[in-house]
Amino acid sequence: MRRLLDSDLELLVESGFIYLPLLLDPDIEQETRKLFRSKRSREGSGRPGSEAIIRHKDGLFIKTLSIRSLLQHHKTLDPYAYNRLKNASLQKYQLTSGVDDIFLDETLELILFQIMPYFIKGRRGLQRKKLSEEEILDLISERIDIPEKYYSEALRFIDLKPLTDIQGDLEDQKPIHKSPANGLWPARKLRDWFHGAIQAKILADERDRVKKTLQVRQQLAHTKPEHVAIFFYIADKGSIEIEGFGFSRMKSHKEYLIYKRTGEYVLKDYYGRSYLFPDCRVAVSTYYTPLKPLVIEKYKHPFLRGYQAGQEICMGGFEAPTELTAEAVIQVLEEGITALLHSYDARRRIGYHSLDKTFVHIPTIVFEDYRV
Amino acid sequence: MLDVELKKAPQVDEEEELKPLVLEIIPGHAAEGLVEIYQPGSYEGESLRRLVDKALTKKNLSIEEQLILEDISRQLEGGKLLCRGQEIGGTALEFAVSEQTEAGEKYFYVPVRAIRPQEGGHVRPEPWK
Repeated sequence: MRRLLDSDLELLVESGFIYLPLLLDPDIEQETRKLFRSKRSREGSGRPGSEAIIRHKDGLFIKTLSIRSLLQHHKTLDPYAYNRLKNASLQKYQLTSGVDDIFLDETLELILFQIMPYFIKGRRGLQRKKLSEEEILDLISERIDIPEKYYSEALRFIDLKPLTDIQGDLEDQKPIHKSPANGLWPARKLRDWFHGAIQAKILADERDRVKKTLQVRQQLAHTKPEHVAIFFYIADKGSIEIEGFGFSRMKSHKEYLIYKRTGEYVLKDYYGRSYLFPDCRVAVSTYYTPLKPLVIEKYKHPFLRGYQAGQEICMGGFEAPTELTAEAVIQVLEEGITALLHSYDARRRIGYHSLDKTFVHIPTIVFEDYRV
Repeated sequence: MLDVELKKAPQVDEEEELKPLVLEIIPGHAAEGLVEIYQPGSYEGESLRRLVDKALTKKNLSIEEQLILEDISRQLEGGKLLCRGQEIGGTALEFAVSEQTEAGEKYFYVPVRAIRPQEGGHVRPEPWK
């Protein structure tokens, strides 16, 4: 079928069926003559569209497929082409899952509007005032270089007209796509019609999603496009970082690793010698409870068991919060950073390892390479 | 004998300039804290700790400032005041860096962090026990 619609043939549409040009050889010609003779004798009894062969202008056409049936079963007949059309259609109206979801992501909201402001500087000089959500988004768009394509997507996203029209048609139960007129159709033109009809059907099948999407977008109708672009950027990239504070989306949907960089810092050993530790990201995962601080990078420290990535920081007197709130995340990040930067006690040598070598025959992590 | 003209290094001039002191007391690892501005002549002889204490007992705070002060007080329950990684001691100017506002007004800036202790790490088991 796909090959036929991609051909240079002229196809005939008649009463909801596609008719193909009939190839003629002497045998077929004889058969068609017989058919037309018997048809004349039964004139008036046939229903329109019931003829297997019809004459149009000078050519003969043979009945093949029902257009309605083809539309209905296209998904099964040609799943690859159907999915391609479906993706194109959903992308055209930005109905792909994830686009709207990002605006309904409560964890992301919590990070952006309650946790991030604690760790990044506002732009008001010495004045101290709580930032509004709009001011926070302004700050992000000033400090993160959001590529132009996300801005264009945002403009299309907040234009409600195309979706409102679709929604209106769906509610009025208007036919989404008019049937093709009877007559000759160049195959490729019929193919374009067919694709349009499939896409319209896909949208009709996605009625609930269109409705939900419209509701979300109506709430965002007065949002600045550059603010919407930030969400598109996050939906696509999954992470942002400002002033050493950042987050990245985990494989699991709507779960994040929230982190704060420590920057370089110095610890002293028992003999007062200094060790320069490299920057690392102290993080907390929104996925695991209780919330505990960990170091994202491959890292070594007296409070980390080994020298690898994703190690939990060894904490003392710390009650890990069990509920994901802004205060809990801030507390866990702060305690984790404080543990690494300020809690090593060279005299008590607490933790898994000590900075200076101890004469104990237990394999341990050495920090000589950090000595300054 | 060479005729040597003595010139002052530009940074010396800057250090001798009379500039206000901006002291910021930041709770934990937050980005911003409570800001107190001391005019020239009001801070030079004072220790940094004394200036911090003054700032922390300031009245007429805005709601935002009160919230920051609460955060600082929470951190200071058993916590310590650190400036550039060290416990504060000496005068504010020992920790100050020169900065300027967007309008070009110069000032000395001293950030002090209130850090609640974290007893990180378990006590290591002693192998001979």
